Amino acid sequence: MDNRDPFRYNVLTSGHRACSGCGEAMAARMVTDLVGPDAIYINATGCLQVFTSHNQQSAWQAPWIHSVFANAAAVASGVEAALRIKGKETPVVVQAGDGGTFDIGLQCLSGMIERGHDVLFVCYDNEAYMNTGVQRSGSTPHAVRTSTSPPGQFSQGKQELKKDVISIIAAHNMPYAATATIAYFPDLKAKVEKAMRIKGPRFLQILSPCPLGWAHDSALSVSVSRLAVETGLFPLVELEHGELTGVMRLAEQKPVEEYLRPQGRFKHLFANKAGGVELRHLQALADARIRRYDLLNVDTQWDTETAMQSERHGRGGYTVSSAVREVK
Amino acid sequence: MANLEIEPGSSTAYHTGDWSIEQPVYLDKWPPCSQVCPASEDIQAWLALASEKRWQAAWRKLTERNPFPATMGRICYHACESACNRNHLDSAVNIHAIERYLGDMAIAQGWQHESVDAQPQTQSVAIVGAGPAGLSCAFQLARHGYSVTIFDAQDAPGGTLHSAVPNYRLPSSVLAKEIDAILDLGITLHLNTRVNEDELHDQFDLVFLAIGTQQPRQYRGDSSNHSVMSGLDFLRCLNRGEPVSLPKQVAIIGGGNTAIDVARCVRRLGASAVVVCAQDPHGSHHRDLATEMPASLTEVIEAEAEGVQLIYRAGVRHLVRSGEHLSGVEIAHVEHVHDRKGNFNPRFFDGTEEFIAAGLVIFAIGQKADWQGLEGMSQANESEGVWVGGDAVSKSKLAATAVGSGYQAAMSMMANLSGEISVYQDHKKSKVAYRQMQLHYYPRQPRCEGESLEQRLDGFNEVVTGLADDDAVSEAKRCLSCGVCFECDNCWHFCPDAAVIKKEGGYTIDYDYCKGCGICAQECPCGHIDMVGRSSESKSPQTSL
Repeated sequence: MDNRDPFRYNVLTSGHRACSGCGEAMAARMVTDLVGPDAIYINATGCLQVFTSHNQQSAWQAPWIHSVFANAAAVASGVEAALRIKGKETPVVVQAGDGGTFDIGLQCLSGMIERGHDVLFVCYDNEAYMNTGVQRSGSTPHAVRTSTSPPGQFSQGKQELKKDVISIIAAHNMPYAATATIAYFPDLKAKVEKAMRIKGPRFLQILSPCPLGWAHDSALSVSVSRLAVETGLFPLVELEHGELTGVMRLAEQKPVEEYLRPQGRFKHLFANKAGGVELRHLQALADARIRRYDLLNVDTQWDTETAMQSERHGRGGYTVSSAVREVK
Repeated sequence: MANLEIEPGSSTAYHTGDWSIEQPVYLDKWPPCSQVCPASEDIQAWLALASEKRWQAAWRKLTERNPFPATMGRICYHACESACNRNHLDSAVNIHAIERYLGDMAIAQGWQHESVDAQPQTQSVAIVGAGPAGLSCAFQLARHGYSVTIFDAQDAPGGTLHSAVPNYRLPSSVLAKEIDAILDLGITLHLNTRVNEDELHDQFDLVFLAIGTQQPRQYRGDSSNHSVMSGLDFLRCLNRGEPVSLPKQVAIIGGGNTAIDVARCVRRLGASAVVVCAQDPHGSHHRDLATEMPASLTEVIEAEAEGVQLIYRAGVRHLVRSGEHLSGVEIAHVEHVHDRKGNFNPRFFDGTEEFIAAGLVIFAIGQKADWQGLEGMSQANESEGVWVGGDAVSKSKLAATAVGSGYQAAMSMMANLSGEISVYQDHKKSKVAYRQMQLHYYPRQPRCEGESLEQRLDGFNEVVTGLADDDAVSEAKRCLSCGVCFECDNCWHFCPDAAVIKKEGGYTIDYDYCKGCGICAQECPCGHIDMVGRSSESKSPQTSL
């Protein structure tokens, strides 16, 4: 066990093999430290599973199960049912990438929600199959270059749109579904804590930049995810039983170009006229999302400016129970 | 099949730090406010203490460099606020108001300065001039246990601060109390005393000359002294409480702060004031030519609000007299005042003449040092045991510059006396510009100001009041803490590798696991983290700092 840090558990600790600047590793460490070590984590196949369980070493400091790509939600359903029968209230958390959520795992996820299992399903959305070499997924946004959607004579990257998975999930009369990103820790924390207070199936989609697949500088993971929100391309929303109950208002709308420029996966959009058309298409998509969720005007607790403000001497982090610390 | 047992957290056996090319280091930097502060105050440090309401600690931190917070908080032209990185977010931190607040609190509470070294030193130092430079130097030496004697030709300590800064800017009681607190360290002060070189050399180990510039530069263009006065003499008369009777109209010649002080005093005495200055107004000059008037912009704005009229780019052609009686001055557009050799040689443009009616002309065109009795020392240097500082030698004539000059002289003298090499390197620390910071992490918050007096021309009451208690705290909290960690947790939250460890009072980086992604440095709001190259042999970052 690693207990170097007196202020958090490091449920996902050091020594994992994620690429430098990995947004998913950051997101998973935040979420699991917020949930705590007294939970059972089920991990679908994907980057997170691979880089945390390498070479007969585990970066996890909590009970952790690896399932196959498709059935993480089904495994979690079984674990939750067993705990229920045993009268235990240990939280069950599924972690999956966008492949394990949007595409391969969707059927099991849908079943888990429909049966009402008390499970938090966290999707670390890095918008492609990064682990296997950046292939397009149902989550890959429009006009993105991946190894299976290369821009060229006939297309400007992926021709289809990003799947609106949060609406699919919410349509299950879902008790709680929300989107979040690593750039706004207080917002992410509030959403995880809210999810942990609710009984029944819960879903979090966390945008997690991938310096490798998105081809941006590793230092920019947080900045890029913040720009995804500030441009309106990735709205931060909360849905309860299908109804929109919370959004993060944009203090100001930034042009999508600011988000696209640092990322190599959009480089071709700045190369020629056809790319320029897609650039305008992406701006129109951002505008449409802003209109749909009323991101500029809606009255909310905080906005993209106030949600990230620094405070002297820490803005609070994780609850670390002293009893558990002593056992460590 | 092999028995597969995997321990929790066993990945820590693998050191991903080996992957890194660059590594982050925490590095305190010197914020721009301190960079430009002529007294080199560690402004960020005392603001941080003030923001936690640790008032006395803040005052002690401040007075390490400047024993005049109540005074400087009032009169300094606060270059720190122009340099403040917060200008790029909303508006500068009101540093001078908090400085004044701390100084006033120290006076009200009667806080005493404390010695740094309990050990008394055997050597003695003489200081000539009890102005800000001399007192600042004496303060530092006395705190470190040296015996200090100050000589001053005037009848009260304070130098120009006492004799020529108007009361509406600095009430004399405030200055007197701060000086008393300094003298309480056991400094001997001889007033009304002019010393000569031999006395100084005979009786003291080292000498610091801070004689200031007490001689006004005279206007040579008119043979008569009737209805002509120097700005310095005018201000001295006022501060001594002597009755001054003015004609209805007064012309003031000069573009410096003295000229503005004089003009604002003239308005308070009920006369109209016209300032004729040879330079350009603020904001309209060509930067390379450096022809902007030297007076502080805020002072000029205040003066204009009080009805002072300013005429720019003009010089005095001659005084217009009928017999001895002065009826005014003839001014004209001036192309340059000094020629290429730096001599006073104004060049006027014909046809631009203008008549300004005035019953009195006050010249505030510069001052110089009065070396009487010390002529032989004016060129002396440190090897002869003589240090020279303050206005007499500084190019900048700000009171804060004098305080800084006194501090530096004291440090250098102490190093000399103790046989060590003087190290004065604070300004060599790396700077932090707003571009290195992430300003979007800071909340916008309006600046708190002291209240401004409405009826200000009735007398010489202070124009601006101090900050209210709550305002002082919230204003101190506005400090961005440029280049100095304020424990916002960003690096700790955002490290994908859990390589940043939070400890009581700060963070450490576990270089065994840091992959060098650079996110912590990128997202540090205050620019406290630098990425440096990693040496191949050692795990810790290679840094010359």
